Amino acid sequence: MTFHMNRRSFLAAGTAALIVPSILRAQESEITIGSLTPNTGGGAPFGPNITASHKRVVDAVNAAGGILGRQVRLYQENSETNPETAVRAADKLINVNGVCAIVGTFSSSVTLGVMPKCQAANVVQMCTSSSSDIPVSDEKGLVFNFQPLSPIWGRAIGELVKARGLESFGLMALNNDFTRSMMDGFIEVVGQEALVNEPFYYNAQQSSYRSEVTQLIEKNPQAVFVPSYITDFTAVYKELYRQGYEGTVITTSLSTGQQFKDAIGDAADGIVHGFPVPAINSPAYKEYLKEAGLEETNSVQHPFGTAGRDQLTTLLLAIEKAGSTAGSDIAKAVWEVTTGEGKTTVYNLAEGLAALREGKEINYSGASGSIEFDEEGMVLGRDFQLSEIRDGEDVVIERLEY
Amino acid sequence: MNLQIFVNALVNAALIAPPAMAFSLLFGVLKFPNFAIGGYITIGAFAAYTFNVPLGLPLPLATIGAMAVTGFVVWLAHVWVFKPMQAQSAVTLLVVSIALTLILESVVRLFFSADVRGFDIPLERPWKFWGARITKEQVQIIACAVVLGTGLHVLLRHTRIGRAMRAVADNPMLAAIRGVDAAKITALTTILCGAIFGLTGVFAGLDLVIEPLVGWNLTIPIFAAAILGGIGSPYGAILGALLLGLAEELTILVLPSTYKIAVGFVIIAIFLLVRPQGLFGTAEIKK
Repeated sequence: MTFHMNRRSFLAAGTAALIVPSILRAQESEITIGSLTPNTGGGAPFGPNITASHKRVVDAVNAAGGILGRQVRLYQENSETNPETAVRAADKLINVNGVCAIVGTFSSSVTLGVMPKCQAANVVQMCTSSSSDIPVSDEKGLVFNFQPLSPIWGRAIGELVKARGLESFGLMALNNDFTRSMMDGFIEVVGQEALVNEPFYYNAQQSSYRSEVTQLIEKNPQAVFVPSYITDFTAVYKELYRQGYEGTVITTSLSTGQQFKDAIGDAADGIVHGFPVPAINSPAYKEYLKEAGLEETNSVQHPFGTAGRDQLTTLLLAIEKAGSTAGSDIAKAVWEVTTGEGKTTVYNLAEGLAALREGKEINYSGASGSIEFDEEGMVLGRDFQLSEIRDGEDVVIERLEY
Repeated sequence: MNLQIFVNALVNAALIAPPAMAFSLLFGVLKFPNFAIGGYITIGAFAAYTFNVPLGLPLPLATIGAMAVTGFVVWLAHVWVFKPMQAQSAVTLLVVSIALTLILESVVRLFFSADVRGFDIPLERPWKFWGARITKEQVQIIACAVVLGTGLHVLLRHTRIGRAMRAVADNPMLAAIRGVDAAKITALTTILCGAIFGLTGVFAGLDLVIEPLVGWNLTIPIFAAAILGGIGSPYGAILGALLLGLAEELTILVLPSTYKIAVGFVIIAIFLLVRPQGLFGTAEIKK
């Protein structure tokens, strides 16, 4: 068939092409998604795993023909675990790349920092952050958190240390929302009467933590609980050791990664730390290990990489379900593909897409947990694990399963 | 508890006093408050880390290396940045020095990332006496500060170079007329102060953690100690550091710990209002 274009139709087509904004044309051809992960800075031990998970899911779906008949394009940015860098990156992702979702933000300050821009542009956010401010600030219902909020961390760590027979505690926390509300959750479980001091807060970036530590161990509690980040905890722990404290030091596993162990050496032995972990017996976790090329062990690997897989899988299933890349449509579909009973359980994207295309209702059960969201988009229930550092290695001592 | 407060204050002072002296000395010669000290201290900490951990030198040698590197960096900063701008006002130079500290930190972050690090020496348990605790490392830091303070005193009071430094600080033109080579003395002062900042970097790395902001975190206490003692007076800086350390420790007996960080600022504000020349400084005569 020959196609004739006269001067009039040529002008009409040209004008139409100019009217449609270029970004919109890019979106017609590809679904664009922003991956904003902490590849350096405080989240550096976890960021690269999250990035790799995002990329694997996208590569797999593109190889299988894409979503809604369109290819998926992932734009990767490093948040440096720093809200200022993250906001600049989010600006670029939204305004230049025209993404429909920003996934993978890790620290609460980053998730909250980019939230106003995402809300204004109707962009879905998927994160692993713990601040109780997240559901409050999410006015449009576009944010989905793949990690429990910090009061849940505090309660779980409290339960686990109580089970170890510890009875008297000294408490101090870094002065931010994540750690403050974790401390509140902890107190709820262990009880006010178990505390030997009035809990107090310290600021990050102090020139010394001597007086705080002196105050914390003054009444010689059996254990001290210090919700913190790695930089301040390293300095605080050095001071605890130097002031001769011999009780149990409890903190979050975020503070005790390899960098901490390298900086502290043998003196790190005996620290007890906890955080939410994937359900290591779930089928999706086992699939994740294969995808990431890991051997099956009985301990948790890639606690945040698993969440990265779940974020992108959930997002793409929701886009398929919604038949749209508009933020509010995707958000509504996220609940439909993850939450609720009586649906077909799926453990990966391919299974989910096949079931959706057959017209079935699905419930995605992920590698980081069963992925059920409450009405605010916060994940319900994750397994929780307490470890102890022995000979420079983390040894699992207890696990809470939901 | 009570004795521990004094031990804590003493260790804080030993950490702050040497750089506060160096800050004062630099101010005397260059006539502007150099906020790049944060960057210099960070350079010192990371230089010592590089010598100690990747290159495997023992810490005393790494410390000497760090002092040499930082001395060189501070001299270079003087020659490349501050000397060409010396005709500018003190406020301009202050802003430039803040920019310089950010640049130095960023360079460190570029090569070392923001990860936390530590020297290759084991943490030690404390000695206990009358209910207070102190570690061998802390005693060494205090001893170093005392030796450094005495050394600076001898240098400034009893040597030709020291007299020349004081002469340049008092009146550069008169010093030049009397045959003092002000440029050479200024260069020597920057190298000496740089070495002290390098040493502070090592102490800070031992006491806190080695990370790009380690120097910046010490800047306000150092500045406060120098103002308290009388900016431009190295001896005042020692007393300033002791009083600041004590004020910070005593604060947490009456106020929540989160306010401790403000103590330095409050001291700066009070002294600038009540006695701008500090405890030991001489009031500037405005003509």
